[in-house]
Amino acid sequence: MADPFPGPSPTGNSPSESASTDALGREKAFRVALIGNPNTGKSTLFSALAGVRQRTGNYPGVTVEKKEGRVVMGDRPFVLIDLPGTYSLAPRSPDEMVAVDVLLGRRDDELPLDMVVCIVDASNLERNLYVVSQVLELGLPVVLAVNMVDVAADRGLKLDLARLERQLGVPVVPVQAHRKVGLDKLADAIAAIPARVAKASSSRVESESSAQQLPGGHAAARVSPFPEAFQGEVAALERLERNAGIPVLPRYLLERLLLDTTGYLENSGLPGVTPELLAETKAARSRLALQGLPVPGVEAMARYQWIAGILEGVVTRPKQRLVTTGDKLDRVLTHRVWGTLVFVAMMVLLFQTVFWMAEPASELIDGGKSWIGDRIVAAVPEGALRSLLINGVLEGVGGVLVFLPQIFTLFLFIAVLEDCGYMARAAYLMDRLMSRVGLSGKSFIPLLSSFACAIPGVMATRVIENPKDRLVTMLVAPLMSCSARLPVYTLLVGAFIPDRKYLGGWFGLQGLTMFAMYAIGVVMAVAVAWILKLTLLRGATPPFVMELPGYKLPGLNIVLYRMLERGWSFVKRAGTLIFAVSVVVWAAAYYPRDIERVAPELVKRQANAALAVARLEARAAELGDQPPQPPPTPGSEATTGSGKSKTNSGESKTGSGESPRASGEPSARSGESVTANSGSEAHASGSEANASGSEATTSGPEDAASELEAARRELEAADDLLAGAMLRHSYLGRLGQWIEPVVKPLGWDWRIGCAALASFPAREVLVATLGVIYNLGADEDEESESLTQTLRSATWEGSTKPLFNVPVALSIMVFFALCAQCASTLAVIKRETNSWRWPAFTFVYMTSLAYIASLLVYQIGIRL
Amino acid sequence: MLMVSLLPLFQLEPGQRARIRQLMGMPDQVHRLEELGLRAGTTVEMVQPGSPCIVRLDGGKLCFRGNEAFSVLVQAGEDA
Repeated sequence: MADPFPGPSPTGNSPSESASTDALGREKAFRVALIGNPNTGKSTLFSALAGVRQRTGNYPGVTVEKKEGRVVMGDRPFVLIDLPGTYSLAPRSPDEMVAVDVLLGRRDDELPLDMVVCIVDASNLERNLYVVSQVLELGLPVVLAVNMVDVAADRGLKLDLARLERQLGVPVVPVQAHRKVGLDKLADAIAAIPARVAKASSSRVESESSAQQLPGGHAAARVSPFPEAFQGEVAALERLERNAGIPVLPRYLLERLLLDTTGYLENSGLPGVTPELLAETKAARSRLALQGLPVPGVEAMARYQWIAGILEGVVTRPKQRLVTTGDKLDRVLTHRVWGTLVFVAMMVLLFQTVFWMAEPASELIDGGKSWIGDRIVAAVPEGALRSLLINGVLEGVGGVLVFLPQIFTLFLFIAVLEDCGYMARAAYLMDRLMSRVGLSGKSFIPLLSSFACAIPGVMATRVIENPKDRLVTMLVAPLMSCSARLPVYTLLVGAFIPDRKYLGGWFGLQGLTMFAMYAIGVVMAVAVAWILKLTLLRGATPPFVMELPGYKLPGLNIVLYRMLERGWSFVKRAGTLIFAVSVVVWAAAYYPRDIERVAPELVKRQANAALAVARLEARAAELGDQPPQPPPTPGSEATTGSGKSKTNSGESKTGSGESPRASGEPSARSGESVTANSGSEAHASGSEANASGSEATTSGPEDAASELEAARRELEAADDLLAGAMLRHSYLGRLGQWIEPVVKPLGWDWRIGCAALASFPAREVLVATLGVIYNLGADEDEESESLTQTLRSATWEGSTKPLFNVPVALSIMVFFALCAQCASTLAVIKRETNSWRWPAFTFVYMTSLAYIASLLVYQIGIRL
Repeated sequence: MLMVSLLPLFQLEPGQRARIRQLMGMPDQVHRLEELGLRAGTTVEMVQPGSPCIVRLDGGKLCFRGNEAFSVLVQAGEDA
């Protein structure tokens, strides 16, 4: 996989040693896993240690993110592996199993680990040490990083970490990951482990009896926190496996098998889990229950007891708990009334800001796009290749990239809100609403992620234990307005919603419209979830527990990294899927190119007009070196550049507004009509007489100029008609006309219908497709102008009536807000539910909902 | 055995402290909450009452809402 952010590592210990790391070879790198509870700053620590040289991917078969970073600490290469944050290593799903398998070295696609760094929150040692006690049982060397010691100190907590180190038996290092304090010490502690492991393994060769001993001399840490009776049962299970000659599970997994009453491990196909073993496991559970050690309760009891011993004398709390800034903030932000107000204000502000902050950058990209278009026109001869480059590639991919600033700005906001701790408060506030429709606040987090993209959103539903809730959340997640809808909204809002400001400029109509589009998805999701929970997927509202992380200033690195990471995935989509769909749509709109057969009269008319223009231009040149009126560049918004005349091709849109065309009707005399004034539709401008073929003598240069002007206009009209006819008779055009009766009630013409149809694989393609269709329809080799302008001047075919107006724009936006136009999302739902039933259901319900809603919007809109 | 009056967690007043006495519900659900730190014997402080409520637990905050089948019973008072 390509490294998207190459650059030197910021950690002092590894100054650009990637080359030597590679030279030393992968197999020599010491593999270190990073594990800890959620919200302990694990990702921050990982980024701080690994720098920007990280690789992210997925563990195959599951949706667990795999993050690796290579660094040099001491003189040794290390591979850091960031495991997902977890409260416990008690696997109850394939996702939770990943961390356990990685830690136990049971994955075929991963080299075994050499050590583990556990990260804990200094203010929450008791709770955070739970997972540490599980890690210590795995038998790997451990270093404990105690993070956010500054926050703990602010709360008045006094920590005796030297004592903790003694009682725990592993190195303990205080750090402040977000300020990069203590990282050198942590790196030293990590770097010291390989030598200790080497020493321990050589001593192990000497004394065979210490085979069970932990490498690194932390034998004390291996002591199980469980009561002896429990340990005895685990040992008995191990003996049973050994005696039966079946593969012996690692002790930790045997323990888990005994503790797991959910049935997950029993049915997960672990080797060596035989019916005999399971029967014995059940018997062991009943024996333990009789001794007052019920499974699974015994685990929490034993571990917290162990933790209490480890923390003996380590933490000194202040007599009077200090009220922190976070507490004061929470009084407002989680307040029923004030908190909700802040939440709504925050969301409105977010979308307002996304809109105006990104605008200058978008204009810049748009300008760059036009510039490239001009270069292509200059460099590539007219024909299929130029059309492909400009209308397929540039308009397609470029049209989507123009919206990158918006997407990056939105990702930036989401990352900031996540990192400062506000998102969890928002989820808390939303739990009231969610529980009313039978879901929990837990469902809100996947839905929130779906605002960026439904794919991670659907994957994030794995945190929901209740299968029905999980399914409902998954089915409504694609209704959230993901980043792919943003280009569609931005384009249409920018082009058709008036830029009105209210309340002294604080609220703009455009921003409010954007907000409404996001809101309609949320409202529909709530309604659909409610209906589903009442009908197909009935079930009790589940209990809801979620940790609220402490507030903190968002870390610049983390926020930027997350923004770039998500933005980058969007660029990749633009480069692959959107590119492919753009090219396919372009080809469908360009071919079969049999216009000579379909509408020969248009071809003839266009050829004649071009001939006439050329002739008049030549004559104008004869009449004088400098004609009094320079050839006007016919450049209205609709159809810039009467392309065929080579004299104009290099020119930009000079003086398009001031062109003499604006000055009333031309005084073109109605000479004999050379054109086969076709049997196609009556076109307002097309019916204009042309003076092109007229052999009438000119009385002066001014007449010649007006003749030339009229000829140019005729050429332009002929070009338009020809281009329109070609599009209409293209494969896409034929399909579009076929579906037009269906989309007409929505206020769409067949071209919008085509664009919507082409957007079913990936909805952001709409922008590209509109670009392709309307540019092809306008004039195939014109310089690329802004799509906004093109759309504003688009008309219904065969009339001058503008195609787009506010109801049409709203109807398109509502359709895109609600329709299931994302093949990847449907594929993810299929994978997550393991059946085609639910993606099919999602597709049908969303598409029907979209059609009905946009029908209502348009039909009501035009009557207002 | 002393009689103690237990009440559901969400009934605590803002700022009131109480000791968790019992987690009532399916063993697996209870086990999950215990892993999060919500367990018998621990002291919690109500931050934002209602359903869901926010409680302080150790150095952190949890938001919590039970249901018909699951509740956390606490003992409020001097010794908590």
